Amino acid sequence: MAQIITSTGLGKKYDKVMRVKDLDLKVPEGAVYGFLGPNGAGKTTTLKMILGLVKPTSGSVTILGYPLNSRNRLSILKNVGSLIESPSYYGHLTGAENLRIFQTLRGLPEKEIDRVLHIVRLENQKTKIVNQYSLGMKQRLGLACALLGNPKLLILDEPTNGLDPAGMQEMRELIRSLPNQYGMTVVVSSHLLSEIDQIANSVGIIHKGELVFQGSLDILHQKSKRNIAIRTLNNPMAAKIFQGNNILFEQSDGYLILPDTKDELLARYTACLAENRIGLVRIEAREKSLEDIFLELTGMAVSL
Amino acid sequence: MIKALAIEFYKTHRRKIFLVVMAMIAAQLMWALWSFSRMDVRDLEQGWISSLFQFTLLNSLMMPVICAVVASRICDVEHKGQTLKLLNTIIPSGHIFDVKFLCGAFYMILAVLFQILTILITGYLKGFNGEAPFELFGYYLLFTTAVNLSVLLLQQVLSLLFTNQMVALTVGLTGSFFGLFSLFFPQSFQKFVIWGYYGVLMFIGMDWDRATRITNYYLTPIDWAGFVMLMVQFLVLYIIGRVIFSHREW
Repeated sequence: MAQIITSTGLGKKYDKVMRVKDLDLKVPEGAVYGFLGPNGAGKTTTLKMILGLVKPTSGSVTILGYPLNSRNRLSILKNVGSLIESPSYYGHLTGAENLRIFQTLRGLPEKEIDRVLHIVRLENQKTKIVNQYSLGMKQRLGLACALLGNPKLLILDEPTNGLDPAGMQEMRELIRSLPNQYGMTVVVSSHLLSEIDQIANSVGIIHKGELVFQGSLDILHQKSKRNIAIRTLNNPMAAKIFQGNNILFEQSDGYLILPDTKDELLARYTACLAENRIGLVRIEAREKSLEDIFLELTGMAVSL
Repeated sequence: MIKALAIEFYKTHRRKIFLVVMAMIAAQLMWALWSFSRMDVRDLEQGWISSLFQFTLLNSLMMPVICAVVASRICDVEHKGQTLKLLNTIIPSGHIFDVKFLCGAFYMILAVLFQILTILITGYLKGFNGEAPFELFGYYLLFTTAVNLSVLLLQQVLSLLFTNQMVALTVGLTGSFFGLFSLFFPQSFQKFVIWGYYGVLMFIGMDWDRATRITNYYLTPIDWAGFVMLMVQFLVLYIIGRVIFSHREW
């Protein structure tokens, strides 16, 4: 699959400390790419570097096949919509007036305003002053602004921040629908694994400025599959027996880890051990949640 | 650029910037009508020239504050709504700086034009002697605008770089005192502070005779060197301010 964003060795130093280090991002075209990491991991800085709002200390970014530099940045960004940190708006103007500003600056037809207002379901609030909007409405206005001109790439930084559960769910459904309905690639950052699990099909996990995982969300789900852990009084002998019977297993922390299997097969394995006079000490089903995997990857237990 | 400028004016919708300018003009008109309420023949002879002198004094006190307020009203909308990071993905940040300055400059030029109108209205109402000196009004327009725009530029740089508008407004208020008090110092000192140029470029002098209590106003040579110095300061400030703003990370 073609990549819509690639970064090579992307890094940013603040106060002599590398806040983002050697990031090699690969965002597949047409995906919803979840950019996941705890607070302060470097997500916003990375997204800002992708948009050219922050100059990288090292590395480079390619968007839509073009290496981003100060000369071509704005022409590349014509195909990119963004919502970084919090929605940008003019509080003294109405929702429609806000959109008119960005529609005019982008040189788009006026009908775009009603189109994006319809997508984010703000048509009935368009004549209201934005200072009177709720936070959820402001977030939707920010998304509408990013959707102006139907960009090929949408970059959303924590778009559900501050929303109530219903607002969060509505925003997630909206984001999830964008690739299919409008052919967009969406990069969405979050510190909530459950949120990324709901929205994204591809994921990059950043921790302390380093990319600790990147790939399909399915791979993470596979890692979270159930296993059977067996402990015996003679694990080396048990291992030989399993090898002899072509039973797949791994050894970990004094346990023989087998893939989840049917009860009948498991009964046969234990019978086999009994026949060879190997005492069975413990047999347990183990399941890693996505959270466990995330914590393993990031080595911490915060922000979840 | 034209589109961005039109949008900049669109953004000032409901910001009541024009009202701020008109409030100052109204205050100055009231002051002029009060000040010229009791004029004798001699005062009426010097009406036009004394008006220009007194409005310049008023400007040194009031214009720095108006410049600070106008610049702040234009720039703080971007800080409040955190729009600069979005604008920077659409138009070059240098253009944002340019159009904000042009928008503020429009209001400040308008302020000087309304001032001249105020002087004309006062003059005709009070019956100042002679024709209105349009050549002097031309100089007044040029010099007051030049100082206003320089002060506006300084205020814009501060308003854009500091999210907290109190910084810019405090500098504006301090500037108005500098502007006024610098009038009592020699021109060499006035040229050190940008607000002092209302006095540097004043082309009317005043002579008050303590014994007869008669005030004479007279034309003084125009300090073109001072004007050039102001323009140089303006250019340097514009370039530095624009470069700092353009290289800022969002």
